[in-house]
Amino acid sequence: MKNLDTFKKFNRKVSMGIEWVGLVALVLMMVITTVDVIGAKVFLSPVFGSIDIMMLAQLVAMAFAAASTLLIGRHIQVEFFFPLLPKRAQAFMNGIVHLLGFVLFVLIAWQLFIYGHDLQTWREVSPTVRIPLHPVAYAAAFACIPVCLIYLSLLVESVLKVLKR
Amino acid sequence: MSPETAGIAGIGLLILLFLFRMPVAFAMAFAGLAGFAYLSDVESALTLLAQDIFETLSAYPLSVIPMFILMGSFAFASGISRRLYMSSYTWFGQWPGGLTVATVLACSGFAAICGSTAATAATMGKIALPEMKKYGYNDVLATGTVASAGTLGILIPPSTVLIVYGILTEESIGRLFIAGVLPGIILSLFFVATVVLICLRKPELGPSGPPTTWAQKVRAVTGIVETITLFLLTIGGLFLGLFSPTQAGAVGASGALFIGMIRRQLRLKKTVDAAKDGLRTACMVLFIIAGATIFGHFLSISNIPFVLAEWIEGLPIPPMAIMSVIIVIYFIGGFFMDSMALIVVTIPIFFPVVVKLGFDPIWFGVMIVLVGEMGVITPPVGVNVFVIKGIAPEIPLYTIFKGILPFLAALIVLTILLMIFPDIATLLPSLVYH
Repeated sequence: MKNLDTFKKFNRKVSMGIEWVGLVALVLMMVITTVDVIGAKVFLSPVFGSIDIMMLAQLVAMAFAAASTLLIGRHIQVEFFFPLLPKRAQAFMNGIVHLLGFVLFVLIAWQLFIYGHDLQTWREVSPTVRIPLHPVAYAAAFACIPVCLIYLSLLVESVLKVLKR
Repeated sequence: MSPETAGIAGIGLLILLFLFRMPVAFAMAFAGLAGFAYLSDVESALTLLAQDIFETLSAYPLSVIPMFILMGSFAFASGISRRLYMSSYTWFGQWPGGLTVATVLACSGFAAICGSTAATAATMGKIALPEMKKYGYNDVLATGTVASAGTLGILIPPSTVLIVYGILTEESIGRLFIAGVLPGIILSLFFVATVVLICLRKPELGPSGPPTTWAQKVRAVTGIVETITLFLLTIGGLFLGLFSPTQAGAVGASGALFIGMIRRQLRLKKTVDAAKDGLRTACMVLFIIAGATIFGHFLSISNIPFVLAEWIEGLPIPPMAIMSVIIVIYFIGGFFMDSMALIVVTIPIFFPVVVKLGFDPIWFGVMIVLVGEMGVITPPVGVNVFVIKGIAPEIPLYTIFKGILPFLAALIVLTILLMIFPDIATLLPSLVYH
């Protein structure tokens, strides 16, 4: 149990830490678009490649916020049926759901690494400013690892709860 | 197993995952992945998974979502809502039931710069409930008003749900926004009429607040200036074709941040907290869309939407009867699911049917948002009710649910009106985009 607590604290630290990367990307999205609008409308000089930057910043923002969003329970869930189940069944079903979540994000991280490798091999770049796309795919894959770790800790917690009962 | 049977099995798996409380976004991604792997092959499904996640989260048209959510977060944190409420309070608070009228109008105003029902209910609840308590307002009326008026957040533009609907159905977000204006205003008036009627029948439920002078009333108008400015800047700019939806959202977010800083309401910590809140909400919404994209690809190869559309088209009943059934499904679904999730899950199934039956997609978008609003205040998962419960923990949930009943009736009346007179939603878009 103590090890699990340490693991959870580590996950929290990592998730909240990498969220800052997402936050910077989100603010960048707002600033770059505002500057682009003012530049285009007032000075007739829009920011070159603002759409490319927006697309990539959005991917970084969302990927790096995925772990903290999961950790603080922000994702929408259907709540009406689950509380009606007996406690033991709840713990068991939680375990199944956390296992599926873990498997899903391991697959996403793995496939995003492969996708990043493919983008690197094909030298794929963004349409306007020709920013290489593969580092962003690798970054998104990396950002999925804390989500896997959170699901792993939740899974272990659920298993321990089932065994305890 | 035929593709259609596999499609039904996939929908069954999705419902099962929902019931076992898997986050909606991940349940759709998982069921979609499993179904796609079954109908094609595992390798294609895994490739699709990475591609859909990468392409959805980096899609430029979707960047409108984080920008408008960020605008709402900054508006929420910068105290705009308090000044809005004080303004309508000064005008209407002295009349019987006046504080509830002030709450509805302030919610309508805040809805014009914030696209979330929960944020609208939370921000107004924190301000209005203590005031109504101070003047002896009945708990049923007070909490019911705030929870219900908060729903205006997703109908009056900018609306996060309308944005998501527009993206999923490839309809113009500008048209959808303007289509929500008239129903939003009518609903606000219905809510005002509801509280006025309640207080005329039982004046003891909403005693008068302190009287205000005309000088105070005139001064109070300044409280709505920043809301009007932000609304005109963003939604006005969008309607006039000055901005794209994303640009409108970004300018609005910058504007709300600027107002908060000028007013000295947004210090560094509060700004960061507001931005983090916006980031997490945007992340939740975009992951739902990514999950829906994966599930949508599975549904497409299962042929379910097309078979369903063909089957419904061949039914010997009038299109309006079919539409009524769809609306009832949304109404019942709203009892159990968040409106955003419900719309994302069902649009790939129902939208082809709606188009095939010849209904206006813009009108349908407003209709399901309106019906979705009911889900926000009805048990067992009425989000706004829980938001109000969080603000006023001493008030039983039963009291709040009882309070929303008259407003639910107003929502149902508007839904019926909108079915009979679709022009309520389609008139403004046809005039503006003529």
